[in-house]
Amino acid sequence: MSLSANKRRKVGHNAPGEDDVASFASFGEEIELEGAADEEMEVDGVAGEESVEDEDVAGSANETDEEEIKGLNSATASRLGKAHNRNDQVRATRSNLDAGRGMYSAGTFKSNMFKLQVDELLEQIRPRRGKREEAVEQALHALKRTIDKAPARGPFSVDEAERQLLMSSKVAVPFPSPRPPEDAKYKLQYAKPASSNVVGSFALKTATREKASLAVDMTVTMPSTLFQDKDYLNHRYFYKRAYYLACIAAALKGAHSSEYDLHFEDLHGDHLKPVLVVTPAQPAGHELETKPMLKWMIKIMPCVSGDVFPQDKLLPDRNCIRPTSETTAEPTPVYNSALRADMLVPSYLKLIHNAASTSSAFRDACLLGSTWLRQRGFDSNLAVGGFGNFEWSALIALLLQGGGPNGKPLLNEGYSSYQLFKAALQTLAMRDMSKQALVVGQAAGDAKPVPSNGPMVWDGPRGHNILYKVTPWAYSQLRQEAKTTITTLGDQLFDGFEAAFILRVDNALLRYDYVLQLPASVVNGGTVKLFDVLKRALGDKVTQIAIIPPQSQPWQLGSARPTVTSEAAVKIGLLVNPDTVNRTVDHGPAAESKAEANSFRKFWGEKAELRRFKDGSILESLIWSSSDAGQTVLEQIVRYVLGRHLGEGAEQGAAFADDGFARMISQGSGTAAFQPFMEAYKQLETDVRSLEGLPLSVRQILPADAQLRYASVQPPTSVRGRQRPMPANVTLQFEGSARWPDDLIAIQRTKIAFLLKLSEQLQEAVDGVTARIGLENQDRDILSQAYLDIIYESGVAFRMRIHHDREQTLLERQLKDKAIAPSAKEAAAAGLAAYKRDYIKTPAHTHSIARLCGRYPALSGSIRLTKKWFASHLLANHIADEVVELIVARTFVQPWPWQTPSSVQTGFLRTLHWLSRWDWRAEPLVVDLSGSGELKQADVQGIQTRFEAWRKLDPSMNRTVLFAASNVDPEGTTWTDGRPAKVIAGRMTALAKAACAEVEEKQLALEAAGLFASPLADYDFVLHLDPALSGGKKRKGTSNGTAFKNLELATLDDSSLVGFDPRHFFLQELEELFGSAVLLFSGGSERPVIAGLWSPQTAPRSWKVNLAYSTIPKKTPKTEEIQADINKEAMLAEIARLGGDIVERVEVNR
Amino acid sequence: MVPMPSKSPVATSVNDFTALPLRLTSTTSFPKQTAHYLYLRANTPKLPTEDTPREVFLVNVPVDATETHLRSLFADQLGGARVESVAFEGARVGKGITAPVAPAKKGKKRKRGPTDEGEEVAEEVGQLPEVWDREMHASGGTATVTFVDKASAELARKRARKAVKEGSKITWGLGVDDRVPPLGLARYQAHHKLQYPDPATLQHSVDAFMSAFSAAETTRTKSLTRQRSIPDADGFITVTRGGRTGPAREEEVKAQGEELKKRDKTRVKEDFYRFQVREKRKAEQQDLVKGYEEDRRRVEEMRRRRGRVRPE
Repeated sequence: MSLSANKRRKVGHNAPGEDDVASFASFGEEIELEGAADEEMEVDGVAGEESVEDEDVAGSANETDEEEIKGLNSATASRLGKAHNRNDQVRATRSNLDAGRGMYSAGTFKSNMFKLQVDELLEQIRPRRGKREEAVEQALHALKRTIDKAPARGPFSVDEAERQLLMSSKVAVPFPSPRPPEDAKYKLQYAKPASSNVVGSFALKTATREKASLAVDMTVTMPSTLFQDKDYLNHRYFYKRAYYLACIAAALKGAHSSEYDLHFEDLHGDHLKPVLVVTPAQPAGHELETKPMLKWMIKIMPCVSGDVFPQDKLLPDRNCIRPTSETTAEPTPVYNSALRADMLVPSYLKLIHNAASTSSAFRDACLLGSTWLRQRGFDSNLAVGGFGNFEWSALIALLLQGGGPNGKPLLNEGYSSYQLFKAALQTLAMRDMSKQALVVGQAAGDAKPVPSNGPMVWDGPRGHNILYKVTPWAYSQLRQEAKTTITTLGDQLFDGFEAAFILRVDNALLRYDYVLQLPASVVNGGTVKLFDVLKRALGDKVTQIAIIPPQSQPWQLGSARPTVTSEAAVKIGLLVNPDTVNRTVDHGPAAESKAEANSFRKFWGEKAELRRFKDGSILESLIWSSSDAGQTVLEQIVRYVLGRHLGEGAEQGAAFADDGFARMISQGSGTAAFQPFMEAYKQLETDVRSLEGLPLSVRQILPADAQLRYASVQPPTSVRGRQRPMPANVTLQFEGSARWPDDLIAIQRTKIAFLLKLSEQLQEAVDGVTARIGLENQDRDILSQAYLDIIYESGVAFRMRIHHDREQTLLERQLKDKAIAPSAKEAAAAGLAAYKRDYIKTPAHTHSIARLCGRYPALSGSIRLTKKWFASHLLANHIADEVVELIVARTFVQPWPWQTPSSVQTGFLRTLHWLSRWDWRAEPLVVDLSGSGELKQADVQGIQTRFEAWRKLDPSMNRTVLFAASNVDPEGTTWTDGRPAKVIAGRMTALAKAACAEVEEKQLALEAAGLFASPLADYDFVLHLDPALSGGKKRKGTSNGTAFKNLELATLDDSSLVGFDPRHFFLQELEELFGSAVLLFSGGSERPVIAGLWSPQTAPRSWKVNLAYSTIPKKTPKTEEIQADINKEAMLAEIARLGGDIVERVEVNR
Repeated sequence: MVPMPSKSPVATSVNDFTALPLRLTSTTSFPKQTAHYLYLRANTPKLPTEDTPREVFLVNVPVDATETHLRSLFADQLGGARVESVAFEGARVGKGITAPVAPAKKGKKRKRGPTDEGEEVAEEVGQLPEVWDREMHASGGTATVTFVDKASAELARKRARKAVKEGSKITWGLGVDDRVPPLGLARYQAHHKLQYPDPATLQHSVDAFMSAFSAAETTRTKSLTRQRSIPDADGFITVTRGGRTGPAREEEVKAQGEELKKRDKTRVKEDFYRFQVREKRKAEQQDLVKGYEEDRRRVEEMRRRRGRVRPE
């Protein structure tokens, strides 16, 4: 921090001495001359990023440095005070200043981008005065007049008052529960309000413009004369308040029922405090009118002046609801604070207003904060956490006054909006206010209050906890989100703007690893109990529990407060710890510690068992059956504790929404299914290395296959006969030798000689190994000509190729050779690309992905599920495995705006979400596969430059469409050169968008299988292949009698069939023969179909010799010219003939 | 006879090609009678050879055509002209085709550019085993059919024209199915088997190739040595690789150059002179401005693409 401060000053000192250009780098001196005040404060936001972090939260040690910065900042602030008024004018002249603006961007490129985007965002969301606002103001005036004119009522007894209102104007008094006792001694009455006022974000201009409806808060101060000293006790204040509100409602109903609709609603879901909601009435009979309704609403809330009740009676540790029986009086903090909040409305209005006038960036910080909260689904409403706009702005306003060490302010008025925003987040993230209250200002009298359950921000002068509504679970979630955003903003490589402000992250399926629903009737308001039970039961298996009770609905004036409906549901979201979530044995306390053991037994009931473990300890413990058998451990636990503590209904009614996804992939989502294969690979390595008679010694053996990085859709099985194994690619490199020939073709032949030797020796040295040499690339003799298939007795198979690094030099030399024919050059280029891909990139990629799979337990499953998704939509032959892996890995290493997914469901859905938003035309995919910052900023810049070069070179994207780079492959086109084509990439995006829309629409009712269903009607023709031919299943005696070659297949011994995949051969051949006229889609081994689309280039055209498809010569009716029409039927017949018995049926759609 | 719904009639000839309709037999998976159009004419290469008069040029050959197919077509259904050999179109280069001027060698499908003698030797002996028992041809491809004599070629063309005129039915692959390897699964099985040749054969082929290769290498070295010592007609001696101190390698020269440049740079430290510091700072500042402009452009572009920045 001190470093950054010094740097800034140093630059500043140097500046005046230098020539004119030098002033670009200096912040301080020349700025005023330019007069661009608003940019200036943003600069502080950018350059001071680091300093804010350290200074405010972490580093209280460096007091002196802190002072320096503050000095600097306040100096800026004073200038800003003057400058701010000129803002509008400055904005107008912005374009003229463009050249000068460069001076403020001393930060990195990312910060520049960020700042520009934030500017634009603020521009968009800043409140403006429009028609809606005018309408609201008119309504406010009208309402105020009516309220002031309303006649006084009462005093009546409770019963009388209620009856009288119901009779006279059909308004039911919205008493909170419990209802006032029948024999209440106090009287209810109404008198003209002491004052009425507009408060809240509308008045303070801190509300964003984006809201669907404009909400305005209007307070009506009840005269103090209505209340008695002890009215703060036993809900009496709230009963009187409810009656007062009902009277206002009655008055308004009488006067404005034609213009406005009136409803009661619980303010922020707090049943103690109903409010009256006024909305414009739907004009009946004016349906034809096309003019859209202006959407606004006014909330009328009664409050009371701050001196009616003594402050010290309402401290959080006091009891204000006297128990009826002789039990001890527990403190009632929420009740007290709710009452206190009513008394402090004007006071907070003043506080925030002051903050807004002293700190010019305050309003913008509130706008940013409000956007941030909204995207994360936080609101003042109790149901969604109780942390909303008011809490945000009050928090910042308070922190501008104090909260730091020695009562100094934690934030400075000179901070920019971005700094204020980030510092507030930092405070939320770093400080656990539920353990230690954040105290601002002098607490009156007592020592610091201690938070009981939720977080506490204690406003000393006002004696109020502004976070009294925030539930413990919402608070932990809030902190988590704040932490995530801080990390996002700190990420130097990637622009965190979208993740922080643009993306909505409140979709439960994407947000939580597991989501379940409970009928609200079961929970019945006991959310705290539910939370405690779940928290205790799940322990370290989860990192976060979120409970979302149903929101309270507004109700008609004449009816009673609605009760919980039967279909309402409580949502529970869980973020799990992937390492422990599938643990089947949970240890409890030791048997000796009686008290703990008792409580453990009491909590778990008969599930608790006393067990003795290997290390000799005797512990209470819980045993769950393993996840693979039906229910996951998590589900078992949740169901058990719900049943035990909330009754049978809860156990039955709990509905988990995750199931489908994890079950879509065979043999479990973990990496366990791959272990035998990995061990076999190690065996191979030892076997090859221990061969004695090889002419050269082995330098390294590297895996280069999806099966060897936990990423193949089907895990490789080692069970003989269950599946026809596909050999996994492996590369072998020998130690260097000068005796290799210096010619590409000869090198390939030499490799065959090596493989022959290797195969001979391997079969001799190792028992039960079959090794044989296969030929490949017959048409291109500079590419690898052969490979060695090594098949172990267990059925595991590997395909080995030899890596010789001289090839690269030779190929590069050919590329540079000017004397060589273009066709040969093309071949050399292809050869070089293949060399790099097969021997360098793929092994490195395999290594990285395998390592990441070890680090993130949910990655393997997510990759496999995503691949399955691509295959189900018949894109498997277009989008390379490696590209899919990169796309999924991105979700894990750059998870913003979430944290790294811990379940297959979130991994998969977030991948789709990103895919649906990926603008591949203009953005490269860049993934840091190291997961630990090996990719540097310069690398990213290099990749970006390369990407732009590609787009410039090939703007119509005929060759490279997707650009997928990683730290092991900065070139970005290794796996995407030539395919997918643009139309395929477009289809990928469209499919992902459709899937996301489905997720958004169905929410928790989502059927996993629905995302994988893809209709075949979209294609021009579909080849239905013989389903028995897939690599996975072998046709047994069930064949339908037609003499297929399957019998022959069955009699061939297993190892000779390793790697035999007729569908793949068929597809490849079709692409070779018909590729220029047909676009083929295949689902690999997931779906036994090949679908096709006729290329638009096959439209009728004048006849010529070298058309690359079968034609019909057609006479055009008018001219005598002869046209070539594509002969689709003949081509399909050819395909059918070629496929023979592989194709069961050809379905022609168009 | 064309089951395709078409408003316009099918032409019988196009340019100087005759469009010969071939009936395709239906298969179980695609039970439909269809017609395939084979275009033929006399072969007219740019550089005629002595065989040219007895050649016929075919366009739009069915993908599964074999020599047997074409022999049978002309012999059994088109007047009994006898075919000597068939050359199918080889590799496609880009969009155009390389019309086979003359069949390189009978029955050989893959072509390499045999340039010098040494390689020719290697090619003949070191061929790797075939992995397909029946080659396919890209859709819409061409072929050159060589008949036994000029008369046969003319007969074949005439009969084709006549068949078109009379509308006589000519069926593709009539009576050859049992003379060619089967298609479908069986073909892929055979391919799978052929992919794994016998190690002894393979060893033999590789050995043959390598010995031919080293023989060629030796001859080449020898000829180079000769060139080095004997001046040519103009009295110049060709510079060749090898010898005691051969000419420098390109890579080495480049590496050396890099090295020198680097040494140059480190000789005087970058911030030794005042002007260096000043220039460096200037450059940094210009970079900043440039970076800023770049970012602004980017944001502009982003806005153009996605509309205004607005929370979802």
